[in-house]
Amino acid sequence: MFGYLLKRLIQMTLVLWVVSVIVFLMMSFTGDPVFMVVPIDATDAEIAQARRILGLDQSLLVQYWRFISSLVQGDFGNSYVFRQPAMTLILERLPATVEMVLVAMALALAVAIPLGVYAGANPESRISRTIMAGSLLGISLPGFWVGMVLIFLFAVHWGFFPSSGRGDTAEFFGLRISLLTADGWHHIILPAVTLSLATMAILLRMTRAGMMEVGRQDFMKFARAKGATRRDVLYKHGLKNALIPVITIFGLQLGDLIAFATITETIFSWPGMGKLLIDSIYRADRPVIVVYLMLVALIFVIINFLVDIVYTLIDPRITLK
Amino acid sequence: MKYLSETALHASALGLALMAATAGAALAEKSVTIGLTADPSHLYPLAGEELSSNIIYYHLYDPLVKRSADLSFGPGLAESWENVDDTTWRFKLRDGVKFHNGNDFTADDVVFTVEKARTSIRPDLVANIASITAVDDLTVEITTPKPYAVLPNDLAELLILDSDYTTETGDEKMDLEPMGTGPYMLGEWIKEEKLTLNAFDGYWAGAPKIDTVTFRPITNPATRTAALLTGEVDVIQDLAVRDVDRVKREDGFEVVTRPSLLNVVLAMDTRAKSPTIEGDNPMVDQRVREAIARAIDTDAINKIVMNGLATPSDQFVPASHIGYAEGMSFREMYPVDIEKAKELMADAGYADGFTMTLDATNNRYVNDAQIAQALASMLAKININLQLNIMPKSNFWGYIRVPTEQSSFIMSGWDVPAGDAGSMYGALFYTRDKKEGYGQVNRGSYSNPELDELVDKADATPSIEERDQYLQEASKLLLADIPMIPVHYEQDIYAVRDGVTLEPRVDKFLWAYDMDVAE
Repeated sequence: MFGYLLKRLIQMTLVLWVVSVIVFLMMSFTGDPVFMVVPIDATDAEIAQARRILGLDQSLLVQYWRFISSLVQGDFGNSYVFRQPAMTLILERLPATVEMVLVAMALALAVAIPLGVYAGANPESRISRTIMAGSLLGISLPGFWVGMVLIFLFAVHWGFFPSSGRGDTAEFFGLRISLLTADGWHHIILPAVTLSLATMAILLRMTRAGMMEVGRQDFMKFARAKGATRRDVLYKHGLKNALIPVITIFGLQLGDLIAFATITETIFSWPGMGKLLIDSIYRADRPVIVVYLMLVALIFVIINFLVDIVYTLIDPRITLK
Repeated sequence: MKYLSETALHASALGLALMAATAGAALAEKSVTIGLTADPSHLYPLAGEELSSNIIYYHLYDPLVKRSADLSFGPGLAESWENVDDTTWRFKLRDGVKFHNGNDFTADDVVFTVEKARTSIRPDLVANIASITAVDDLTVEITTPKPYAVLPNDLAELLILDSDYTTETGDEKMDLEPMGTGPYMLGEWIKEEKLTLNAFDGYWAGAPKIDTVTFRPITNPATRTAALLTGEVDVIQDLAVRDVDRVKREDGFEVVTRPSLLNVVLAMDTRAKSPTIEGDNPMVDQRVREAIARAIDTDAINKIVMNGLATPSDQFVPASHIGYAEGMSFREMYPVDIEKAKELMADAGYADGFTMTLDATNNRYVNDAQIAQALASMLAKININLQLNIMPKSNFWGYIRVPTEQSSFIMSGWDVPAGDAGSMYGALFYTRDKKEGYGQVNRGSYSNPELDELVDKADATPSIEERDQYLQEASKLLLADIPMIPVHYEQDIYAVRDGVTLEPRVDKFLWAYDMDVAE
């Protein structure tokens, strides 16, 4: 286990370093950030002064060295646009994104697993066919379209939900959480549903495929023969064996949604961090992009690690080396 | 004795609280929620400028000279001003003005702000100030490097900071904890969610009518419309063109439009060799430039691309500006006429046309990429093969930057909120590299000694009337010589619910102090 952890840690450091190098190189092609902060009729002297203030007067190599050496001391650099620490900008937006994604993922699981098991166990039934057709819609409809339709129907037309924003929040260990207030739930439903649809459809189809595969195995017939109820056979024996690929996809989707919920956040003007990434790309705000993508890489590494641990809990034959 | 004074204090505090409570019951709190296109990046005026930040700045801070909604200039924190000699100005400051923290506003704050701006990212704000001194607590003397008639207009953009507070707080924190003399104080700012402002009762021009103003950033245009229709916001900025009819049909809402100052212009290269044109540059010839102007149908662009929500521009600056040439119109001088344009091309020796590239943005101006496409098909009629090079704004400004080594034909926008053509002509048309601070955005490399002379004269006189005369002559000269083609002014489109009074400002800076809400 210790060896495994150490290996993972080294891998992670390597991944983070590669991300930082790639982003630094990429950003030298996406435009000069100094023109995003000075007025368009700025004189050369004014531009030179802005460059100096932003630390952009040095060569790319020197800039990178400065970035890495202050990173080691825990300083992630300041945004060119906001002139605030990049890490603070991201972290103050992180809770909003995470809570929306968690609600979306919970929703996806709660719907996908039972329906997937049902569709896998009864592949020929009419209900299963309806479920599968519905899941195809879930995969193929673009999120921004679903979001707009939901806003039009549920906010503008019927007035059940607000169209945008985050609503009231309550403090919890210094974090602002909207899941602790009724108004917060009222606001989170539409964006969470929008965000969950695609993941829901994928998980459902994975579960169904796994269940159909497992259903042909001898141990399923054996379990049935020894007198286990149909429910026990499906959920205890079947689902457990079908779950490994579902968990893998779940982990990847979770990371993906936290990192890139941008479109849903923009449509519902949800104050999360995905919008920060897009805005920063438009404004060539390199420090924010670097820190953001490194943080995302870190989140993926952690989620994958947790997924590995869950494997061993579900299937004792798997060990971590 | 101590006991007594404390009781007295409590009693009076109680009295105040009671008074406030009764007043509150009699007069319902007025509040308004405004949907903006983006969250402000800054609350510290010297940290940078973009529209959302500018809107908030003017709620929190005041300039010495106030720019009104229709671009006239009047007293702000300065009560009056006079020219002592050609380059010296004396500003009399308003007495009894207080910052939100109770500090008095004095001449030292003005001097501090000017010095602070010099070393910040916005030295352009004080580029025309050579020196500043506090004569006494309520008088400052400003000298300009040369006679400069429109100094007060420039000062409308310099927002005054509290010297003690700003020094103590530091630049980074000023962005989060602003302190000014403006009509509103910062309540709370939750990034990307909302920014709340509370009325400052001690405002020198009288307390605002609306007590609480909330700004919500809603980037997606369709969501902004939805938020208005569901009553979550009372006012929205930048109503999407396609939603205009929908909102007009709905009961209880109103669409408010106003032509903006932003003139979309096409700059033509006038160098002998141009980066994207093979052989000699045809646009050196005024006839070719006129042919291009005559081939571009701005009415068609307005109707088809802009849904009628643009105003074709008749000059380089709007009629309200110093330097606008009375009674002249680019549209009347060069009406659309393809036959005439072809003749001009033939006269210049380019009957077969030529190929060049247009550089344009796709996320900066309303429908910018579509306008570029329309231009390509219009110029094809006079045999100019226009290649499109369209990019996001983050690449654009660096790409087209003087010395424009890659561009022949550029579409961009220009606005002069200072209400004066001089700074625009100096930056866009003055010969490059001749004088510091002139011609720095002359992307077409236009060079005309007559124009340079007129701009020099305008910038050398302390009299506004004379300046206007010189700049009008410059306008006439430019309209005849066509170094650039003005296309149109975009229109600003707002939507409000009934009961909210909104008079849009020409400079787009929504100002709650001028707004009101029905009871």
